[in-house]
Amino acid sequence: MLRGYAFTIAGIAIGVGGLVALGAMSERIVRFIEGGDRFVLGQISVAGRGMGMGAGFTAGGLLPGAAVRALAGVPGVAGVQSQVLLPLNPSVSQFMTLTQELVLGLDLTVPMPNRHYRELPVRAGRFLRAGDRKVAVLGASFAAARGLGVGSRLTLEGDAYEVVGVLERTLTAPDRFVIVPIADAREQWVAKDRLLQTLLASGAAALTAGDLNTGAAVGWRDGEDPDVVARRIRETVPGVNVQLPSELSGLLRASTAFFSALLVGIGALALAIGGLSLANTMAAAVFERIRDFGVKRALGATDLQLGREVLGEALAVTLAGGLGGVALALGLGWAIDGWAARSGQQLFHFSPRLLAGALGFSVLLGGAAAIYATARVVSLSPAEAIRRGA
Amino acid sequence: MLRAAGLVKSYRAPSGAALPVLAGVDLAVKAGDLAVVSGPSGSGKSTLLNLLGLLEDADAGETWFDDVRVSGLGRAGKSRARGRCVGFVFQAFHLLPGLTALENVLLAARYVGRPAGEARRRAEALMEALGVLERRDHYPAQLSGGEQQRVAVCRAVLNDPPLLLADEPTGNLDDASGAVILGALRRRAEAGGAVVVVTHRPAAVGGATAVYRLAGGVLEAA
Repeated sequence: MLRGYAFTIAGIAIGVGGLVALGAMSERIVRFIEGGDRFVLGQISVAGRGMGMGAGFTAGGLLPGAAVRALAGVPGVAGVQSQVLLPLNPSVSQFMTLTQELVLGLDLTVPMPNRHYRELPVRAGRFLRAGDRKVAVLGASFAAARGLGVGSRLTLEGDAYEVVGVLERTLTAPDRFVIVPIADAREQWVAKDRLLQTLLASGAAALTAGDLNTGAAVGWRDGEDPDVVARRIRETVPGVNVQLPSELSGLLRASTAFFSALLVGIGALALAIGGLSLANTMAAAVFERIRDFGVKRALGATDLQLGREVLGEALAVTLAGGLGGVALALGLGWAIDGWAARSGQQLFHFSPRLLAGALGFSVLLGGAAAIYATARVVSLSPAEAIRRGA
Repeated sequence: MLRAAGLVKSYRAPSGAALPVLAGVDLAVKAGDLAVVSGPSGSGKSTLLNLLGLLEDADAGETWFDDVRVSGLGRAGKSRARGRCVGFVFQAFHLLPGLTALENVLLAARYVGRPAGEARRRAEALMEALGVLERRDHYPAQLSGGEQQRVAVCRAVLNDPPLLLADEPTGNLDDASGAVILGALRRRAEAGGAVVVVTHRPAAVGGATAVYRLAGGVLEAA
């Protein structure tokens, strides 16, 4: 049935391949934004008031142990997990905050309060446990960029850490995390920050290890409105910066507005280029056979028979071209991502919805183009069709 | 079998002016007749054949297949009438390039609902009779002009249509190949078919029961 359609299928495959590849880049950005959004909407993020060492989206001052205990006592709060979030390399931490590498120290004596990430998905090895020291769980991009795996050694601020786990790729912030027990993160913080070293050495401030937190993740009880709980924390716990989940989500979306616009542009471009290429190729394939249709009508084919035949061929051709395009895009994406993985990047995300959508789109558009072209062809008399195609 | 009365046809020139081609053509062809229509190039011979075979509509006039006024049928009716009653042989063969010789012949059976097995047996018999059975799996591009036209004749007669229309069937062939094709058309008429051959070389068509000349849009006995 598809004999003689090799060039048409190849043409469609190139169009669909472009559509899928551009769509996969768009999907990659969507996953990044949605992942971040999902994370910040799953918890109330609290930091100490001020401008301290904190990095990334929890930037703020020191959050002492007393404040953490006070947070736990606020009505509606279900759990508080102290955290230390540090830039891996402070000299570049203030730039490119969407891609910076971070050290996250977690208090493992309490469960993660984030409603959307009760635990981070581990691809290899295990997650941290209470009582662990000098061990690390790595984000997928971080591990890939450095060629690290379970059992590898990692040096942080002069101390050796054993990698006990590598996370699944999330296509968002945790891909670049090094997650360690909070006690280890506190040591790294002191090692990184000369001001903190001076302060601790002077004894001017009565600080204990439990006071060295850059922030805390706060969970809320079932039935509570997280924004209401966050406002309640603001009102009842002094000296903290509280970010409302909805507010933080809005901030995140505002900061990624460029990417959102970019992906809309990429999507529109992909649909326009892929769609036009596909429709044009399919219509041209039908018009190219105008003489054949004239001959078939001379042999007794009715408009309905011819339309059914052309539509069947068009669907088979576009499906074959669509599958070829998907394979082309997957191959291209695999090759480029293989190259990008060396620097911990992933540029494409081939989601099932994208692949199914691209196939459906190509079959529908190919069918529509074929119907249009066939309608034009059968409007001619058989003699005219044969004359024009000769 | 075939009766045409008062066929009128004109085309539109690029300037919009009407170009009259047929100015009231009458023709009757009975079963067993081999009618030859000749005339100079551009005289409207092919147009007449197209009208007789319902490949295009006349501006005026009527065409009858036996007692059915086929010129009054709708598009689907005309398609069915073509499939059942008419076989075409074109000067340029018009085989479908993506189909083998056998598939091209069988194409004629596809649109008339003929059982596949029976159509295949008849197609192979016809191809054997015309000496192209060994070429059954070859594509048109792999066949000589004479072979292509023999395949086209097989396709035209596969459904055993009562009317066979041939438009310059030897125009692209050498004498030997042309003789084979004309012989096949003659045998078709002898077997009871109504055959109309358009050619500018009427002398080459032996065994014609009637020879007409088309000139100035009018058909006259030659």
